[in-house]
Amino acid sequence: MTGSQRLKNVVQDSSFPSLLMLVLLIIVNAILQPGFFTLQVIRMNFMTFTPLILVSLAQATLLLVGAVDLSLGAGISLITAVMASLMGNSLGSIILICLLGVATALVLSLFNGAFIAYIGPPPLIMTFATSTVWFGIALVLMPTPGGHIPESYYTSYSRMLGGVLPVPILVLLIAIALCLLLGRMPIFRHIYAVGGNEKAARASGIKVELVKVVAFLISGVFVAIAALCVIGQTATGDARSGQGFTMNSVAACIIGGIAFSGGKGNYAGAIMGGIILGLLINIIYFANVTSFYQVFTKGVIILIALVIGAVPRLRRELARR
Amino acid sequence: MPPVLSGGGKSDTMTVLEAQHIRKSFGGVKALSDANFVLNKGEVCGLVGANGSGKTTFARVVSGLLARDGGNLLLNGSPVNFRSSLDAERSHLAMVHQNLSLVPEMTVWENIALGREQRDRAGFLDNKSAIALAEKAMASIGVSISPHVRVSSISPDEKQLVEIAKAVSKDPQILLLDEPTASLDFHQVEALFTAITTLKARGVSIVFISHRLWEVAKICDRLVAFRNGETVGSIDFAQSPRDESLIVPLITGQAARARVRKNRGQREGEMQGFTTKGASLEVQDISLPDGRLSNVSFSLRRGEVLGLGGLQGQGQEEILMILAGYLHGYTGRIVVDGKPATLRRTRQAIKRGIALIPGDRQKEGLFLEHNVLSNILYPKISMHRGSFFLPRRKFQEVASSAIQTVSLVPPDQKTVISQLSGGNQQKVVVGKWLALSPSVLLLNDPTKGVDVGTRENIYVIINELTKAGTSVVLYASDNEELIDNCDRVLVVFEGRIVKEMAGDEINEEKIIVSSLNVEHTQEGRAST
Repeated sequence: MTGSQRLKNVVQDSSFPSLLMLVLLIIVNAILQPGFFTLQVIRMNFMTFTPLILVSLAQATLLLVGAVDLSLGAGISLITAVMASLMGNSLGSIILICLLGVATALVLSLFNGAFIAYIGPPPLIMTFATSTVWFGIALVLMPTPGGHIPESYYTSYSRMLGGVLPVPILVLLIAIALCLLLGRMPIFRHIYAVGGNEKAARASGIKVELVKVVAFLISGVFVAIAALCVIGQTATGDARSGQGFTMNSVAACIIGGIAFSGGKGNYAGAIMGGIILGLLINIIYFANVTSFYQVFTKGVIILIALVIGAVPRLRRELARR
Repeated sequence: MPPVLSGGGKSDTMTVLEAQHIRKSFGGVKALSDANFVLNKGEVCGLVGANGSGKTTFARVVSGLLARDGGNLLLNGSPVNFRSSLDAERSHLAMVHQNLSLVPEMTVWENIALGREQRDRAGFLDNKSAIALAEKAMASIGVSISPHVRVSSISPDEKQLVEIAKAVSKDPQILLLDEPTASLDFHQVEALFTAITTLKARGVSIVFISHRLWEVAKICDRLVAFRNGETVGSIDFAQSPRDESLIVPLITGQAARARVRKNRGQREGEMQGFTTKGASLEVQDISLPDGRLSNVSFSLRRGEVLGLGGLQGQGQEEILMILAGYLHGYTGRIVVDGKPATLRRTRQAIKRGIALIPGDRQKEGLFLEHNVLSNILYPKISMHRGSFFLPRRKFQEVASSAIQTVSLVPPDQKTVISQLSGGNQQKVVVGKWLALSPSVLLLNDPTKGVDVGTRENIYVIINELTKAGTSVVLYASDNEELIDNCDRVLVVFEGRIVKEMAGDEINEEKIIVSSLNVEHTQEGRAST
């Protein structure tokens, strides 16, 4: 591949517009937020960015297979409630309860995935229904925020390893490694095939239902890590701690160039989309926008991001006419 | 099998695939009633037949995509029962689908390897050998497409070649090619034939389904002909000359000649009766830039039923789509009732009195979960101008008169469409356009999957409409329908009108012969 051809490939990539947007937002954010490039500020920022990026990766997996999960946020709430109500101070208890949290995430996603793959309701409605179920259970377990998270757990989330590597970044690096590993596995290609053209996938001998279930399980892994981070960040169990993650993750994926119709986009786009959304929220905060207008401004900026993301497609369609 | 018996030419060959009395129906419609087929090792056997003769159904049954209703399938002499295409592939039988098995957002090599990804020792994807496999498969059939481009960005003929490469990469012993040349041009067909010859030399047995008889005559060792789901004959080119005119009678059959339209004379009188002279629709030099249509011209008189005949997918539907305002980007002129028309949106077409009754009623014609009343009224409502509120009472009257005209069973406005039978659903599709009293009615294979009674009924309605001065353009894949209902028939072949016949000239043999475009290709090849 020649240099110019490689450049052309980058420009044509589905996540190229979001890369441009990311650069722009970093510049704006750096102007508004004092000490943006210092390690301390990066650590602070990524404490909130990392959970959102992880949920975006979970959502991306499902969008790629042609599904969507509106219960991701409620699932995180439920996991935090379960963990906070059981966790003790000893190291053994912390490890055990973390494993329980991961298991909960996998059970929730397995339920959604198997139901959708074998009984066949539209993922949108199915996961909307389960989201209220998860939320309901979380409310029963923990009507008000509380529970117990040992200090040793939540301080380690904000720690700086060896003085240079913030733990949230380490978690993110682990997630990226997971993405790279997945990218080298046959199942990942099958996820694209099922999302891109289910009939063709079946004609090629792919077990479509199984692929859907596995996609949900993969998303469950990302959700589990996200929930562990959320507890580290908030230091409580809270039935409302997952609120906002669901739709933010969908928005992050779409901004990152992942198609809602499935089979198109990549994890890099989801990560960028997650960071973009995080930066947006940051900018609104540091630009001293009145709190009344914060929500409004966030919505408008997401709309603008969506338009920018649609430009290459619109241009292609105009050229065809 | 011992290759010793003397006598017939086939005795020294080994049968790899044999189908005996295969039957298959779709909801009461027989697609295959008695299909018999023998494929010998290392031969290319053609499978020919008119539209709806069951060729594709047969290929799908053999390759495990459809389950048969009856009959036996023998592979190398032992009975088999494939439950999926994967099952068939395990027995080294692969089918080339018509663009069914490609994922558009994946690259060519990813598509070729899809479902059978190469893995390294750790179980990870081995992309290097997958790319090599794809390159090898494409090279073996003489295709030079970069394996790294996305399938969504290559042309239809390249997609077809990738499909073939994908099947070849499975290293099959038996290969079924379902109209592999439909989207290929002359040179690509030549390249494909070279590939087929190579595969044949390797001992691969090939079933070659095609509408183009000259291709069949050129590449095949034998051919089998289907008619109405039955095997009606075969030709062994070892014993008979490679002559297309020998194949035609097999496809058409003898009984076909007798069929002509009954009330021909009466119809002429009716059409003369309209006072408005001149054409109600004139189409001049319509072409599509991608070549799906080139220089199509015809005119339509008031009250006339014009048939579009020919093989499926030769451009008939495109003509209807253009007239209905679905396809823009055409060149040429369209004149409706003496005034030029721009048909860039469906709305413009409806305004000029052109209504399309689609072929796939469930997809394009009906709101399945709505009731009869609202389905009949949607076009009326969308074209409504004037009062702010809709005239409810008046609309109900319009609907009930439409229901009467099409004799819907039950004649109830409140029935939900999905609860009606297929035939009655189709009546609603017809009925909803009657409310707008169109001047040109376009019918896209209106009786596909409809029982005989309803079929008659729909044509009675159409007949009534033409008496009132509506002109009709009818595309039907069933030649009998064209013969029974049309005043004139245009035969379309590869986007061009190759034959026009009117009145008593219309008969099945003529339609089929010109559909296959035998004379034309012979001339064409003589001149090249």
